[in-house]
Amino acid sequence: MSIDVLYGTESGNAEMAAEEIVAALGDGRAVDLQDLDPDDLTSSAVYLVLCSTYGDGELPASAQPFVDALQAKRPDLTGVRYAIFGLGDSSYAESYSLGGNQLAECLDAQGAARFGDFGRHDASSSDDLVASAVAWAETALADVATAAA
Amino acid sequence: MTLQVAVVGSGPAGCYTAQALLKALPGARITLVERLPVPFGLVRYGVAADHQGTKSVTRQFERVLSHPDVTFVGNVEVGTDVSLEVLRSSFDAVVIATGLDRDRRLGIPGEELPGVVASGRVTRWANGHPDACPAPPLLGRSAVVIGNGNVAIDVVRLLAKSPSDFAGSDLPAVVASALAAARIEEIVLVGRRGVDQARFDPAMVKELTRIGGATFDIPSISTAAVSPHAVSLRHLGEHQPRGDRVTVRFRFGWSPLRIEGDARVEKVVFADSTGAEHSVATETVVSAIGFAGPAALVPDEAPAESGRLDAGLYCVGWARRGPRGTIPEARTDARHVAGVVAADLKGRGPIPGRADPYRCFAALPATDLAGWHAIDRHERATAADGRVRNKITDRRALLRLARPHLNHLEGEPA
Ligand SMILES: Cc1cc2nc3c(=O)[nH]c(=O)nc-3n(C[C@H](O)[C@H](O)[C@H](O)COP(=O)(O)OP(=O)(O)OC[C@H]3O[C@@H](n4cnc5c(N)ncnc54)[C@H](O)[C@@H]3O)c2cc1C
Ligand SMILES: Cc1cc2nc3c(=O)[nH]c(=O)nc-3n(C[C@H](O)[C@H](O)[C@H](O)COP(=O)(O)O)c2cc1C
Repeated sequence: MSIDVLYGTESGNAEMAAEEIVAALGDGRAVDLQDLDPDDLTSSAVYLVLCSTYGDGELPASAQPFVDALQAKRPDLTGVRYAIFGLGDSSYAESYSLGGNQLAECLDAQGAARFGDFGRHDASSSDDLVASAVAWAETALADVATAAA
Repeated sequence: MTLQVAVVGSGPAGCYTAQALLKALPGARITLVERLPVPFGLVRYGVAADHQGTKSVTRQFERVLSHPDVTFVGNVEVGTDVSLEVLRSSFDAVVIATGLDRDRRLGIPGEELPGVVASGRVTRWANGHPDACPAPPLLGRSAVVIGNGNVAIDVVRLLAKSPSDFAGSDLPAVVASALAAARIEEIVLVGRRGVDQARFDPAMVKELTRIGGATFDIPSISTAAVSPHAVSLRHLGEHQPRGDRVTVRFRFGWSPLRIEGDARVEKVVFADSTGAEHSVATETVVSAIGFAGPAALVPDEAPAESGRLDAGLYCVGWARRGPRGTIPEARTDARHVAGVVAADLKGRGPIPGRADPYRCFAALPATDLAGWHAIDRHERATAADGRVRNKITDRRALLRLARPHLNHLEGEPA
């Protein structure tokens, strides 16, 4: 089971979290969503997906081309498993962390299956992004392993 | 011999450039040279004190500075303490990431009057910049803010908020007490262009609804206007707190003509699109109309297009593109310029007979990363009054904590 840690980012926080997850797991690779073709998603991998929020609840720049391609190609993602982690800032009260929600909805709409908790990080909190993201990834992967056993 | 790259300036452009170079040129050593003993440029000294979420990119920058191949050299101003020429002869490549901190001027009569101040000075003061704090702006009961970008809105928030609104921020105590003492009652925000051409993010206007005790006076906007700016202003009009502590008036399509007053500013005169004059009595004027280039170390006619100024000399961020663009844009720019640097150096390799890079700092009272971390720990540990950080605003106090020492930088690894 290979692990791909995908990220949609604009100022690089999600990229850092993805790289630190890969380092902590000692496994997998971090991939920017803008470098990924939705047709390449497979059921033989598990995906950990991190995505921030911009504008007023919109996707970050590096997730946009992926979502555009997803909506244009409408691939069948049945059997594709992913867990999601949204990055945001609660001072945007009405649009907090919506980028992650949007991306998850798009994947779900193509039949992908979500596992683990919906992770979140609030840039206005004192929570450490890397610690939160690594803990989320480890818990989510433990869930998949249990489900597979 | 190891490739050595110097990056001048440790704001977003400098830090993202170092981050990108670590990937593009593995094994190269990167030295960030910063004129202050503290890193992060406008993230620490521009981004508003009440936008801590935006400042959270420093988590990434800390990770870059702590990388074993990266060295932070603080308290060294290139062009003053060490010349650009010496730096260029000591490193295989030099990247200028010094930003642009010179305020653009209004260029109208009366701009020199006491009580007229530019936004860069105000926001550096409000962020505890050691250069700005010895001369706080002269604040009165009323203020006119000229400009229609995000910085103008940052200034309005700063002036309009009550002390309790700054909980969770890192607004320095001296700034908070100066603002409280000014008891600002009226703020007029004036934009040269119309509502639809305003440059602020609509989300910045929405945020103003959370300022307790404020009333917003918004010119009637035709319901036909559907630009995001018009929508955000209508939203503010409908959801505003309507308090009686402070009134903020928005005015669009007014160009400033002159500032009048005897010993200090008394009024600003504007012209609307028909040429009719409008006079606004005020005790303070803040011009927030942007910043001016070129950067001191970037030659005027330099071909900055690709990021390469000359052999082995590059520029990035506001020093390259001018004073426009956000932190994410600095990241995009840095990745591009780092790619150019990496391609050049891979083809060329280290300069034969280059000097030991750290010799050029040897006689200087430079500070290091441990010095910044000592400041950082102190600022967090002494935070009080609902602040997340107690910013040290005095340069000597910063230096006492950072303990500059001579010749402590290690030589080049063999
Ligand atoms: C008031 C204000 C608020 C802002 N708020 C936001 C925001 O909320 N969100 C957002 O995305 N963007 C914001 N921006 C824009 C953002 O700050 C810039 O895009 C970004 O900081 C540009 O990065 P830079 O590294 O080019 O310049 P800077 O951040 O200015 O960094 C330059 C660094 O170089 C150092 N330096 C200068 N000269 C020398 C020298 N000769 N030798 C050594 N070091 C030197 C400086 O001390 C500084 O540390 C704001 C800008 C301003 C002015
Ligand atoms: C201009 C701007 C708009 C933002 N809008 C939102 C938003 O609507 N909702 C939210 O939860 N976070 C918002 N954020 C916060 C970011 O999502 C948060 O800082 C995140 O950590 C950035 O991650 P990244 O560096 O991977 O892009 C915004 C940030 C900026 C700078």
